Amino acid sequence: MPTITFRQPDGAELRVDAPVGTSVMKSAVGADVPGILAECGGQAMCATCHVYVTDDRALPPVSDEEDEMLDCASAPRTGHSRLSCQLVVDEDMDGLTVLVAGEGP
Amino acid sequence: MTTAPATADITLDALDADPYPVFRRLRAEDPVAWVPAAGRFLVTRHEDVLAVERDQRTFSSVEEGSLMNRAIGPTLLRQDGDAHRRLRAAAEGPVRPRAVKERWLPRFRRNADALVDGLVERGRADLVADFAGPLAAANLGALLGLPAATPADVQSWSQAFIDGCGNYADDPEVWQRCADAVRTVDEAVDDAIPFLREHPDDSVVSSMLHAADPLTDEEIRTNVRIFLGGGVNEPRDAISVAAYGLLTHPDQRVDVLSGRTPWKAVFEEAVRWVAPIGMYPRQVVRDTELAGRRLSAGDRIGVVVSSANRDERVFDDPDAFDVRRPAGPHLAFGGGPHFCLGTWVARASIAGIALPALFGRLPGLELTDPDAVRMAGWVFRGPLALDTTWSS
Repeated sequence: MPTITFRQPDGAELRVDAPVGTSVMKSAVGADVPGILAECGGQAMCATCHVYVTDDRALPPVSDEEDEMLDCASAPRTGHSRLSCQLVVDEDMDGLTVLVAGEGP
Repeated sequence: MTTAPATADITLDALDADPYPVFRRLRAEDPVAWVPAAGRFLVTRHEDVLAVERDQRTFSSVEEGSLMNRAIGPTLLRQDGDAHRRLRAAAEGPVRPRAVKERWLPRFRRNADALVDGLVERGRADLVADFAGPLAAANLGALLGLPAATPADVQSWSQAFIDGCGNYADDPEVWQRCADAVRTVDEAVDDAIPFLREHPDDSVVSSMLHAADPLTDEEIRTNVRIFLGGGVNEPRDAISVAAYGLLTHPDQRVDVLSGRTPWKAVFEEAVRWVAPIGMYPRQVVRDTELAGRRLSAGDRIGVVVSSANRDERVFDDPDAFDVRRPAGPHLAFGGGPHFCLGTWVARASIAGIALPALFGRLPGLELTDPDAVRMAGWVFRGPLALDTTWSS
């Protein structure tokens, strides 16, 4: 099973098993990763599962709904911002590290 | 095993007057407590509320003998899974943040300005009855696509539905008023549908008609009722609580008016402090365990977000209104698939418009008698009245 590492703003890391076909958000919530509240349960409606992905491996493009919601996130949006609920885990994600955005500064 | 607290002593009247001391005790002693007066297990800790919200296969929104279904029919609020998703998807377009910002903010601003224009010279008003309620109703009528409905109509329909959904006393007069409102709203929706079918616009009813998977007229009639029920009370109470909080905390008000603390923080703190919807029901559909309490299929749960929002495990000094507290994971909008559909409308129309208009345009706004302000309710909660004066 792919593993994904969640890094907190303070540098703390948690490595999580992420079943193929579920979302990166679900794997974080299942492992109680701090800072991934995921209020809306994965329907791109709340922006509380915001992460930064700097790894340059191919991720799916940002949809219109994800795009508008990222504009509403509490932490600053950057070119690396994604909603983790919109990232579906596949084998290519094994070893991916994402930075939890949380509530921002 | 600690001794269970005497939940048999908890009365609905006590919860109605001030539920927070009761919830504090339950969080400490019995976090999934059987409360006979409510006929439910009340889930009061933040982490357990989150767990319920995240597991709709164990904790269903479909409730046997639901008063809400009896009052207003099987709306999306009492459905799960694909059936819920379909109804929600059809309604969602107009209330997503970009649509709110681009299509609705100008209208919400006109509504707020018109109300404040009418107040300025008076020098006194009840901010609940004269501002928060009418504003919520005017915004909602426009957003839904019922232009013929007056704010007074919208408010009375909403109250009739809310009273019906909470008619635990089985009062026939309440059922009658609710049934009358259902009939009148059905007529208003039936009047609106033919035009919107031919002339799509930015409204919710239009969105339901023209969705990729459109709703039937009957589904539209039914679901408009839940928008009316929820779309007045909650914004009205959020505006009122935020205003009350700032009016009773002058130092925080100075901070906000000088721009040091954003209005957004005022809004979020208001709905954390006194969540407009304090409790909502779920029903257990398979045996499970929550916080050490065994629950059986069929058990009824009360998800007490107003208590989760004051959980001392998550929020420092949780009973204090403090707009400067760090943003935290309050659960006023619920969570999971039923996450409040009106979240972005509320944030934009209240933090962005209603509160700045009130405090910006009514100089010297103050409560006539802060000690006279009464809040009521534990399922829904907010100030009953906010009598204020200002220099006109």
